[in-house]
Amino acid sequence: MAVAVRLDSVTKRFGDLTVVSRISVTIEPGELFFLLGPSGCGKTTLLRCIAGFYIPEEGSIHIGDRDVTRLSPDARDTGMVFQSYALWPHMTVAQNVAFGLELRKVPKAEMDQRVAEALVMVKMTERAQYKPNQLSGGQQQRVALARALVVRPQCLLLDEPLSNLDAKLRLDMRTEIRRICKQAGLTAIYVTHDQKEALSIADRMAILDKGIIQQCGSPEEVYRRPNSKFVANFIGEANFVEGKILSVEGDRAVIETAIGRITSTALPTELVRAGEQVAVSLRPEVIHVAEEPPTDANVFNGQIHGTHLSRRSCAASDQPRYKRRRHHGAKGV
Amino acid sequence: MNRALSKTIFLTTSLVFVFLFLAPLGIVIKGGFWVNGEFTFRYLIGVFQNPIYSEGLLNSLMLAVGTTTLVTIIAIPLAWLTNKYEFPGKKWISGLILVPMILPPFVGAIGFQQILGPYGGLNALLGLGPVDWLGKLQYWGVITLQALALYPIMYLNASAALANIDPAMEEAAANLGCKGFAKFRRITLPLMMPGLFAGGTIVFIWSFTELGTPLIMNYTKCAAVQVFDALKEIGTNPFPYALVFVMLASSAILYSIGKFVFGNKSYAMQSKAATVSTSSAVGGWRGILVLLPFVLVILVAVTPHLGVIATSLAKPGSWYQSVLPAQLTLNNYAEALGNEITISSIRNSLVYSTLAVAFNAIMGISIAFVVVRSDIRGRGLLDGLSMLPLAVPGLVMAFGYLAISATVSNMDWVKNSSFWQTLLDVRTNPTLFLVIAYSVRRLPYMVRSAVAGLQQTSVTLEEAAANLGAGFLTTLRRITVPLITANLIAGGLLAFAFSMLEVSDGLMLAQRSDFYPITKTIYELFQLIGLGQYIASALGVWAMAFLGVTIISASLILGKKLGAIFRA
Repeated sequence: MAVAVRLDSVTKRFGDLTVVSRISVTIEPGELFFLLGPSGCGKTTLLRCIAGFYIPEEGSIHIGDRDVTRLSPDARDTGMVFQSYALWPHMTVAQNVAFGLELRKVPKAEMDQRVAEALVMVKMTERAQYKPNQLSGGQQQRVALARALVVRPQCLLLDEPLSNLDAKLRLDMRTEIRRICKQAGLTAIYVTHDQKEALSIADRMAILDKGIIQQCGSPEEVYRRPNSKFVANFIGEANFVEGKILSVEGDRAVIETAIGRITSTALPTELVRAGEQVAVSLRPEVIHVAEEPPTDANVFNGQIHGTHLSRRSCAASDQPRYKRRRHHGAKGV
Repeated sequence: MNRALSKTIFLTTSLVFVFLFLAPLGIVIKGGFWVNGEFTFRYLIGVFQNPIYSEGLLNSLMLAVGTTTLVTIIAIPLAWLTNKYEFPGKKWISGLILVPMILPPFVGAIGFQQILGPYGGLNALLGLGPVDWLGKLQYWGVITLQALALYPIMYLNASAALANIDPAMEEAAANLGCKGFAKFRRITLPLMMPGLFAGGTIVFIWSFTELGTPLIMNYTKCAAVQVFDALKEIGTNPFPYALVFVMLASSAILYSIGKFVFGNKSYAMQSKAATVSTSSAVGGWRGILVLLPFVLVILVAVTPHLGVIATSLAKPGSWYQSVLPAQLTLNNYAEALGNEITISSIRNSLVYSTLAVAFNAIMGISIAFVVVRSDIRGRGLLDGLSMLPLAVPGLVMAFGYLAISATVSNMDWVKNSSFWQTLLDVRTNPTLFLVIAYSVRRLPYMVRSAVAGLQQTSVTLEEAAANLGAGFLTTLRRITVPLITANLIAGGLLAFAFSMLEVSDGLMLAQRSDFYPITKTIYELFQLIGLGQYIASALGVWAMAFLGVTIISASLILGKKLGAIFRA
């Protein structure tokens, strides 16, 4: 049964250093929520606050209806998957998975069954009697996931669970994680610095930098309508063009830039005024090379350096026109 | 870890440790300076003015300097060879080279005398008349015996220091044209210095205050023996206190110099070594050439103890003007095991050592937990404090405990209660003080092993348990302790082994024969005219065999980490 996780003005300091600063966010029941940001942004610290390994100096954390802010980790009923997996080397795979159930005094028969089910879910049944050091990285990762899931936690916490895997395995595992979370109907909080992971499987995500949530929203929102140059730059590929806002009307803003006048509907118009300096982010996939000058907005000239385009497009000396169909504004320079 | 809990553990362990460790030192200082209610330097100055005491101190200093020098000369080349070459039999040799450590030098002294005595094996071998080697070269006899027992400590430190040096350091020197001994002197040796000094400090303090060896070798003009002889006056004479204080202060100063100069840190290597190993394989006659020094050192080092074994097997009186005993017998062993004080001493030693290790295990795990897993201010201080017993001579501690016991047993509430008398008066029953003395002195081994274990064990393994609902004690029992068992066993075995062959505490604190530990029994038996040395040797062989098994188990469990324990 999924519950919401609510963070209210959570602040965590280490000495004079504020690592997490007044973070408020509610993770909805059954949601796969990502905390995304560069290293040192405070995302793991925030996750460890939720798990109870750190006690925040200010603010509160609710899991469901319970205020868990000052509860010790063992009383919180979260299931955590550690970056290093933290599988106990002196126990077998089955013993690792059964540990949480033992503590919950689950009867032996039920315990065996739940362990078996969990191992089936992560496809590790055959390795039940192996020790962790006999497993590959991907297998260890799946055991760690099974160990966290088998206790049916109120919420699943994943701390960079895929960062120690190779690229191919990462792709497989991230869809696998989403499948398992959705199948179990779990509220899950997933920490990563890999924006591709977040964009591909998140329901919603929060972009952290310097201990502050820069933007929170669905992958689509964050990608299409970044609210700062940092977010635009951190999520996906972006080209920045500096410019000055000429006018704002409704959700439309016209920006004068070095490459021409750009009309944007993606600018957070409630935040900007005419005359302000902004950086316009151009996603590479929205730039199209047109044969004929298009009639609608956002046309600008460009020079193609042949080596950067396919041979089919044009010769190096050509001066075709570029058209931007969609673009995203970003406030600030 | 829960903050309140770690604070409680921190405070409890600190208090217990400070009380048990500092109380005896305090009473030594008090006894030497506060006399009849007033503070005076008279006795401290008196120690230096008294020709007997100052000669004793000077001799002790010379013993320490001599032993440390010898140890360094033996250990560095061996460590360098181990680091440099892969030679046939290396695995065995690197284990065997540590064996002398488990042979208490004062037991070896008995065998040494049999071999080097006027009517002993050496003179018979060389066909000389009754030359009294040890009478003439008593000093050399003592430092040789001590060096042969203590060089493994230096060897372990030096090897660890060498292994820690990034091979690229030497390669860079070679690349710039520096080679051979110049490279060793300019690059390798300076990088080894912190490790060498750490090992050297332990050896120096150990030999400066060693009691057993000079006592058996009858080298009475040294401070340790003088303190031992003055024990009868512990209630009345401030001079022994002042003398013990001088030994304490010298050790403390030396230890501090080491800490300040080297900061107890080896030079941090800037990067993980890119090259795994620089040791090169040597075989054939060159391999044998490398092997030779090891074999020689081991042979010489075990000679005293071979002498002990031979003595234990000799029919009393049959090792006289002959290379080896003329007639062999197992009678001495039967005699030893038939002797009441022998049997009870084995039992006593086992009881004292077991209790001491149990106490140490609890203290060691607690301290290590606070040091590694908490963020309490002052945990570094606790870590440092718990290492200090290595710097304080056992003789000083034993003297302090004896003084405490002498003081409290004069108080009426102790005198009038048989319970308190049994507990606190060493003349009635020394168990409590012996166990405390044994454990405090061995605490560093336990703390180091537990700290090493915890540091190698990722904290996330404990967090994962907490995350799944395990409380502090459950996590400790199910996860932490099983993961560091190897370290705990190794530390415990070492603490146990060293408690079993503890000399100063036993000689000074155990005053009734039914409470003697093995070492004191060996000493007392040795004093017996006639049969004494044979029975003493038999008991000594028993103890050596027992300790051998213990240490070998420890090194098998701990593997290469054994060396880390002896780094002060």
